[in-house]
Amino acid sequence: MNEILDQYFDIDLMVDNFDAVLEGFWITIQLSVIAGALALLWGLVLAVLRQLPGRPLLPVRLASVAYIDVFRGVPLLIVILLISGSLPFLPLPEALRIPRWFGKPDPFWYGVMALTITYGAYMAEVYRAGIEAVPAGQTEAARSLGMSHGQTMRHVILPQAIRKVFAPLLNDFIALMKDTTLVSVIALNEVALVGRDIQSSDFNSSALTLGALMFLVVTLPLARLVDRLIAREKGRFSRTSPRGAA
Amino acid sequence: MAGDPILRTENIHKRFGDLEVLRGVDLAIEKGEVVCVLGPSGSGKSTLLRCVNLLEPPEQGQIYLEGRDVCKGADAPSGEAGWHVDFLRQRIGIVFQQFNLFPHRSALGNVTLAQETALGRSKAEANEKARVLLERVGLGDKVDEFPERLSGGQQQRVAIARALAMDPRVMLFDEVTSALDPELVKEVLDVIRELAGEGMTMVVVTHELGFAREVGDRIVFMDEGRIVEEGPPARVLDEPREERTRQFLGLVLER
Repeated sequence: MNEILDQYFDIDLMVDNFDAVLEGFWITIQLSVIAGALALLWGLVLAVLRQLPGRPLLPVRLASVAYIDVFRGVPLLIVILLISGSLPFLPLPEALRIPRWFGKPDPFWYGVMALTITYGAYMAEVYRAGIEAVPAGQTEAARSLGMSHGQTMRHVILPQAIRKVFAPLLNDFIALMKDTTLVSVIALNEVALVGRDIQSSDFNSSALTLGALMFLVVTLPLARLVDRLIAREKGRFSRTSPRGAA
Repeated sequence: MAGDPILRTENIHKRFGDLEVLRGVDLAIEKGEVVCVLGPSGSGKSTLLRCVNLLEPPEQGQIYLEGRDVCKGADAPSGEAGWHVDFLRQRIGIVFQQFNLFPHRSALGNVTLAQETALGRSKAEANEKARVLLERVGLGDKVDEFPERLSGGQQQRVAIARALAMDPRVMLFDEVTSALDPELVKEVLDVIRELAGEGMTMVVVTHELGFAREVGDRIVFMDEGRIVEEGPPARVLDEPREERTRQFLGLVLER
């Protein structure tokens, strides 16, 4: 029984390796925040492109839809491998082929690219749901006042849409954070790889457990926050029905 | 009547799928005139306003605003692109049944937004104008309130101020009191009545017969996508010539 417990919860081993695992987790956090921010932005761009009006812009809309469909359907791991295994051999400037920006190693930036590309597609769908949830009357009111499509989008639709989908976006961010561990396959020393190395040398999984616990410290409060935001949004909806309206 | 009409529609047709909602509507509005449009549900009165504003571009027909043909002609691509949309919308204000205030902006913010974005007015100028207009609709003390904290009647008055801020030549009112509790109807009608007194040109789609009689210069009765009968309020309401009008008025009065 003790052997089973020790395999996952060897306290001494956790204490000895705490700094190393934490260092790996710090890389995980940096990867999550940078890729998360970029994916939020890229997803918004894709969602807005998808809503452009008029027949001449149909190709742009179709391209956006195709992109979103493709990258929601392709495994993130394959995207990571495609980028890291091909970019170095493309005829590009060195800074792009082997990016080492801000002192981070190239696997870090390959990871950022893959996560942004993939999660941008997920988040574009979330934004779209938000945009479509804004009542048509809002667009009509803005357009009838002479505002252009772009002005209506920026000042009327998106502020309301983003407020509506803040919680699902945060959910996607949590998923993205967990998926950063996949970047370990291209030798980025984030928390999973650090834990795995210790597991291989010590035949004990406690360092990986420790990494999992560190995840929980961040993801559990975030998940609670999502729940509260959803509850608040529901409350807001019931209050927005105009008083005095029949 | 004197001079050219400020707004004129000619043979407007609009269909949604198989349903032909407007079957050739000719309407001419003089400057300063208040035209009240009556008719049963589904008669096309709301659709007519939405066509005039090009929220629903008509498939066929012409619209003239201040003598200018706002259709780009038969060669232009169909839909919104075939019309001088901006020219028209910046000169015609519309107020909707459901208010459609921007919930993320205060009363003041609702009235300033299009001034700043569509007309390019400075923030100070837009704010000044918004305060004056909100004062005028009786909401001088509510400028910083958000829509969710306003009653339906107050929201509708903000919506009127928002449309007026664009200095429209014509105002369209689409059943603006239908979504309101009875005790809130009056405060909105009072604002419209005041506008009429100031000489604003207006097309008012309404079910309020008393209001139409009092404020309207002319009543237009619509049914099945056509104008059945039009004339001075007393004439149309008291001595309707068409059987369909008599029927409708009989039904409305019975309620």
